[in-house]
Amino acid sequence: MTNLISTLLLQSSSGASGDTTLATGQAVTPKTFWLPEGASTFAREIDWVFEFINYINYFFFFLVVGIMLYFVWKYRQKGREVYARGPSHNTMLELGWTILPTIIVVVIFFMGFSGFVDMRTPPANAYQIDVTATRWNWVFKYPNGATSDDLYVPAGKPVKLVMRSEDVLHSLYIRDFRVKQDVVPGRYSTLWFQADQPTAEGEFHWLFCTEFCGTGHSSMNRKVFVMNEMDFDSWVVEQGRWLDKIDPAELYFKAGPKLYARCAGCHTLDGKPSTGPSWGDYDGSGNVWKRSSDPNSTHKVDLKAITNLIGPGKQFENAQSYIRASILNPNEHIVDGFGPAMPTFRGQLNDKAIDAIIGMMQHLDEFDTKSPWAKKPDGAAAPAAK
Amino acid sequence: MTTLDTRPHLTDEVPGNYLTFRRGILSWIFTLDHKRIGVMYLVAVLSSFFVGGVMALLVRTKLLFPGEVSWMTADQYNKAFTLHGAIMVFLVIIPSIPAALGNFVLPIMLGAKDVAFPRLNLFSFYLWVMGAACAVYSLLAGGFDTGWTFYTPYSSQFGAGGTIPVLVGVFILGFSSIFTGLNFIVTIHKLRPPGMTWFRMPLFLWAVYATAIIQVLATPVLGITVALLVVERAFNIGIFDASMGGDPVLFQHFFWFYSHPAVYIMILPGMGIISEIIAVHSHRHIFGFRFIAFSSIAIAIFSFLVWGHHMFTSGQSPLMNVLFSAITFSVAIPSAVKVFNWLATLYKGSISLNTAMLYGLAFIFLFTIGGLTGIPLAVLSTDIHLHDTYYVVAHFHYVMMGSALIAMVGGLHHWWPKMTGRMFSEFWGRIGCTLVFVGFNVTFFTQFMLGSQGMPRRYYAYQPEFKIYHHISTGGSYIMGLGFVITAIYLIHSLFAGKKAPANPWGGASLEWQCSSPPPHDNFATTPRVGDCYDFSAVHWDEKLQGYVVDTEAHVAAARSDSASGKGH
Repeated sequence: MTNLISTLLLQSSSGASGDTTLATGQAVTPKTFWLPEGASTFAREIDWVFEFINYINYFFFFLVVGIMLYFVWKYRQKGREVYARGPSHNTMLELGWTILPTIIVVVIFFMGFSGFVDMRTPPANAYQIDVTATRWNWVFKYPNGATSDDLYVPAGKPVKLVMRSEDVLHSLYIRDFRVKQDVVPGRYSTLWFQADQPTAEGEFHWLFCTEFCGTGHSSMNRKVFVMNEMDFDSWVVEQGRWLDKIDPAELYFKAGPKLYARCAGCHTLDGKPSTGPSWGDYDGSGNVWKRSSDPNSTHKVDLKAITNLIGPGKQFENAQSYIRASILNPNEHIVDGFGPAMPTFRGQLNDKAIDAIIGMMQHLDEFDTKSPWAKKPDGAAAPAAK
Repeated sequence: MTTLDTRPHLTDEVPGNYLTFRRGILSWIFTLDHKRIGVMYLVAVLSSFFVGGVMALLVRTKLLFPGEVSWMTADQYNKAFTLHGAIMVFLVIIPSIPAALGNFVLPIMLGAKDVAFPRLNLFSFYLWVMGAACAVYSLLAGGFDTGWTFYTPYSSQFGAGGTIPVLVGVFILGFSSIFTGLNFIVTIHKLRPPGMTWFRMPLFLWAVYATAIIQVLATPVLGITVALLVVERAFNIGIFDASMGGDPVLFQHFFWFYSHPAVYIMILPGMGIISEIIAVHSHRHIFGFRFIAFSSIAIAIFSFLVWGHHMFTSGQSPLMNVLFSAITFSVAIPSAVKVFNWLATLYKGSISLNTAMLYGLAFIFLFTIGGLTGIPLAVLSTDIHLHDTYYVVAHFHYVMMGSALIAMVGGLHHWWPKMTGRMFSEFWGRIGCTLVFVGFNVTFFTQFMLGSQGMPRRYYAYQPEFKIYHHISTGGSYIMGLGFVITAIYLIHSLFAGKKAPANPWGGASLEWQCSSPPPHDNFATTPRVGDCYDFSAVHWDEKLQGYVVDTEAHVAAARSDSASGKGH
């Protein structure tokens, strides 16, 4: 049934067929008193409906309050004997002020309905980006396997996000595109949009999580960059290869901090408590690498010393395997004092990425715990900013 | 002659009202008097309101600063806003008008000696106390940070340690609500005096009746929902866990199936109070009695059909979204009809701007904004942008606080002389009302803009571009807080030093104004005689009593002749 409805109504909406039908007007509408700038093909119509409702609301508000104030002034009490004789019913009036608002809301309903159907019907040729939401991170995965922490999209093409959550409900909201959809564990949800204007240098659109998900709910903000098709195509290719192009010896400081961004929500570097064990020293057994690799480590996992798990002949041959397992299968062994809160990064971090992270752990002393992407003065140059 | 009981034991020398009938704390704890139960509820609800209000001020104070602050972590912030919501919804607004004011006023307005089941009434209060105790215990057990909506899987798999205790508290509070509703339905059906047909019954009672229907039918669903969540959390049975084949979104359907009708539990009795206040303080017959009465019933029925409008982005099918959006507009129309009828009641009235009336007028202003801003939320395409932003927060505060709570405070002022036998200071009443009104608008109107500009809700930290809005909003909240503190002070002060109240200070014509202020223990010495409760022609000012008096003979005769000639309601 919804297919029938959408077929009937698609004609009325812009951008449905994927072509840039915004010939008469800019692709981005400016910020107004009520609304932020509108940068998708949906924004124009939605903003129009919003403003239309606003004007109806202003009208009825001033009408009701105006009449109220006028009556209160005109019919104010004079003296103590106050019985006032006035009409107590008028059926025509009752019908009038029931039917007129009903007509108005029916009209408004249909306006919202047609815009909505368009938003729920992605075009068949939409460019698909997979999205994974975790506590408290977004990862965007492109068709060639490239992953990114921020959302890069091509201009002038419909883009469809296919989203899933690793843990709890999240919701992806790009306010300038006027799109939002909850991200649910155990199923895929979709949203689509088309942005026609590339973002200028240094500019971006905000992406917010809009379903309460815990401590880091308000720190899951990400940036959306719109690039013209040529730039986007080369970006995607570069992004897919960025790890491969880095020399293995430089992996830990060129890639480590960038990847660490996905861990930072739960793991601090300086020993401060957080949702997960700090990579720094917090229990006297050294930083994450020392306490995993030291054969005399006093660090405790599963209520036993970590040395139970790591060593020749034990479950993990060496500290690297233990750390790798912690990233891919995090809830199998849990550090004492913490809960099973870590999502898996299988599918998000490939072997090179994990090597980069382990490398960063091994060289943790070389990093400034406040801004790990800037290496200390006695090390090599810092990599490009996030 | 009136039904004022002038037997010797009711003169000033010898105590003779419900407050002095028996003394001692046990006479309150084990009372069966609906008036005492109402007063106990009132104290309990207002105390909870202040605690919830402090939570709100904590939240708003943190929001002066866009980033992290050293004195409140994100977890503490999340617990603060969750506690604010849970206290206000479950401990304050849902019980406030039905259980606090309704318990006191309903039997007297009806002309009865008490409710149908006084012991059940007392038990409802005990249940409220038990529910509140569970909430207090949950704070000691680690608090809860899931939002008052308890969405899964966050609430079933994460959430702080006090989550299960507070859910048990909500379960118990649900029964308090159900039993109160049941009591009121039976009372209204069975205890009306002769002559009080349904269409001679005051509109406050129609509103409470419609509310009671929702309480009885919807609250059990909440009970089951929180019970399922407790079991899921404790034993991981998997009903809301996707990895075990369960569905997290199912919780939202269960939860909102109650919680949407719940918001009408909050607003309907408030609308009933406004009908009373507007009519009495305009000294004029209410306009459109039947339309207002039936609109309450219509709202109660339609409220069960729209729960999905809280879930437009949840993954619900597009067809469901369309249906819920369309039906949502059906609930808006009866509410608009009420507002127009109240305005028409002001027409050709004789309006006294007492504090209660000021609250009534404030209600019309604030409810109009609250109702109109529901429209962009009911409209599918605009709701996608506005859902889970501050626009929603502003909308529901306008209807829940600016309307339901304001109506409650207005009703408190309207019936304060009846309940306490004292008049409060009109001067301070006006100041309190003005501060609350101005502070409220500054706080929450700003939040509409915050939301439409894209600021999400339940955010500890935010982008600096929103800072100016938050600063204005927080300033407003302090003004509003001051207004409420002033209100509390002058009301409490009136208990000790207020002028003694006459039986009928405002000139009402319904039955509660025809017994003394405060009422005697058994309300009426003889079954009262029923006239048209909105016919003020037989109400006159008595200089000696410094209050109004209803000429009962004339009042009843006028009603009888109206009925005979086919006029009246």
